[in-house]
Amino acid sequence: MVSLILRNLARVTLAFLVLIALTPILWTTLGAFKRLRDIVTPVPKLFFSPTLENFATILGSPTIRDGLVNSVIVVAVAVGLGAVLGIPAAHTLARHARRWGDDAQFFVLSLRFMPPVAIAIPFIVIYLDLGIYDSLGGLILVYLVTTISTVIWLAVPAFERVPREIEEAAAMEGCREAEVFWRFSLPIAAPSLFGALVFTFVLVWNELLLALTLAAQNATLPVVAASITSLGKEVPWGVINAATVVLVLPPLVFIGLLMGLINSMVRAGGPKKG
Amino acid sequence: MANISCTGITKSYGAHPVIDGLDLTVADHEFVVFLGPSGCGKSTMLRMIAGLEEVTAGRITIGGTDVTDLHPGARGVAMVFQSYALYPHMTVADNITFGLRRLGVPKDEVARRLRDVAAMLGLDALLDRKPKNMSGGQQQRVAMARAMIKTPKVFLFDEPLSNLDAKLREKLRTEIRKMHNALKTTTIFVTHDQLEAMTIADRIVLMRAGAIEQQGTPDEIFDRPATRFVADFIGSPTMNFRMGIIRNGVAEAGSIRIPLPPGRFAVAEGQEVELGLRPARMGLVAGDAPGAIHGRVVLIENMGAEGQVIAEVNGAEMSFVTKEFRRLAPGDAVSFALSPDHLHIFDRASGRSLLNKDA
Repeated sequence: MVSLILRNLARVTLAFLVLIALTPILWTTLGAFKRLRDIVTPVPKLFFSPTLENFATILGSPTIRDGLVNSVIVVAVAVGLGAVLGIPAAHTLARHARRWGDDAQFFVLSLRFMPPVAIAIPFIVIYLDLGIYDSLGGLILVYLVTTISTVIWLAVPAFERVPREIEEAAAMEGCREAEVFWRFSLPIAAPSLFGALVFTFVLVWNELLLALTLAAQNATLPVVAASITSLGKEVPWGVINAATVVLVLPPLVFIGLLMGLINSMVRAGGPKKG
Repeated sequence: MANISCTGITKSYGAHPVIDGLDLTVADHEFVVFLGPSGCGKSTMLRMIAGLEEVTAGRITIGGTDVTDLHPGARGVAMVFQSYALYPHMTVADNITFGLRRLGVPKDEVARRLRDVAAMLGLDALLDRKPKNMSGGQQQRVAMARAMIKTPKVFLFDEPLSNLDAKLREKLRTEIRKMHNALKTTTIFVTHDQLEAMTIADRIVLMRAGAIEQQGTPDEIFDRPATRFVADFIGSPTMNFRMGIIRNGVAEAGSIRIPLPPGRFAVAEGQEVELGLRPARMGLVAGDAPGAIHGRVVLIENMGAEGQVIAEVNGAEMSFVTKEFRRLAPGDAVSFALSPDHLHIFDRASGRSLLNKDA
């Protein structure tokens, strides 16, 4: 009886905490569907006639649309290249260079210790000289520092968890190293690697400072969203809310998809119908 | 057809050799067990034969072909690992047939051979499962099937039973030996369990610190250990050791007097030696019997059919095994003796057995 009460109490507390954590996001989402007068009213309104006006403004505005497209391109290429280069590097570190692995991993991680401004300012100078200032390519290049390092940092432990004997068993069957990596290490480490990619994606998707300093015309979505506040005299709260939703949506969808994928992979290993 | 020969095998990590100039031959169809304490180099030796570990110096040939520099997959050997090492993302059937499918063996041929090995190892009902949902014993059977289906020239087992519980271990041990009797494939089996080695091997290669301490049939290893180390390592309960001296053709150790058959041991009068008495070769005797050892019972361990009696003799413990242990109780005076011709005598300094070669 007591345990039942305790359990329910725990549930109520948990629900309360989740509510506190989610309320701002929910309020923002609601705000995205409100007209300005419904937002600025002194008495908060839970019930209102929803409108898609704000989203229309967002998606109709070329700056925001371009920002979204730029973001998708930059982040997709940076994360994609980061994975292609970082994952094999991590496997090599985990398997063949364990002696230097800790140092290499720390070096890679230490790239993240630097405040982004410290990278940004030299990069402005270099990029201006090279003529790639304010280009998507330049932005991808600087993001690769983040994506490759993060992917390596997170993927090394993922590969270390792949039992060595499995790779050896595959070698006994005649597989060469590349084949062992491709057909065994990679699929077995895949669930952890997906986690690493999601984390990396979120890092660069939300990145503001480097994007702000290295690109003027080719701004990414966080830059655009940050600049909306100065659109007019009246702060367009509805538009800001809608922009926030647009900004938050891709990572959520991405994470949701990956979680589904990971779950299905885990379950595929689960009990099968007799 | 598939004998193995290793000559001058050396393995160093850095400047420190763990195996130094080891020579070994395994005859075709032979079932050889590498036995030894952990860190003696037995697994390293196996892994070098498999090709998973490079040799620093020396040559390995399998079936007359020098395989020293060949890729593991090109040596015609199959290995079963302690941790099973099944591919977690594949079903049992895919695990077993991966090697054949990879070589492009025709589908119906693969299916036929899968049926054969699955039937042999009782895996028919499990072929669609993933390894994760199987018991250790089932997983190890799959690993064995995966090794068998390739019909390799040599089977290598790296402590395959160590992760299983005692009951299953015994069962699988019998199955492995039966499998060998049926297939006659040359086999090397690594274990640290002396009982496992005794029961399964044609020949035991007992290793210590990167060198072969003794090799021979289980009987030879058990009854004619070449060194004190071998005598101590083999047999359960462990052999009793006593410091002794040879006087007038009798081995003396405290109150213990054991007459030596003439010519059996290469010992000199007055030589200081170490005596070895196997508990399993001793039994209760009347108090006045020749060679009787007198002591007081300290503890009796009931092992079912027989019991190990630990007695205090001259202030030190000595154990022996008897079926009549139920007559005894702690505190009783007890007389027991070693069966004739089962005394072991070792040199104190070198630890080598002083038994004459032809005795």
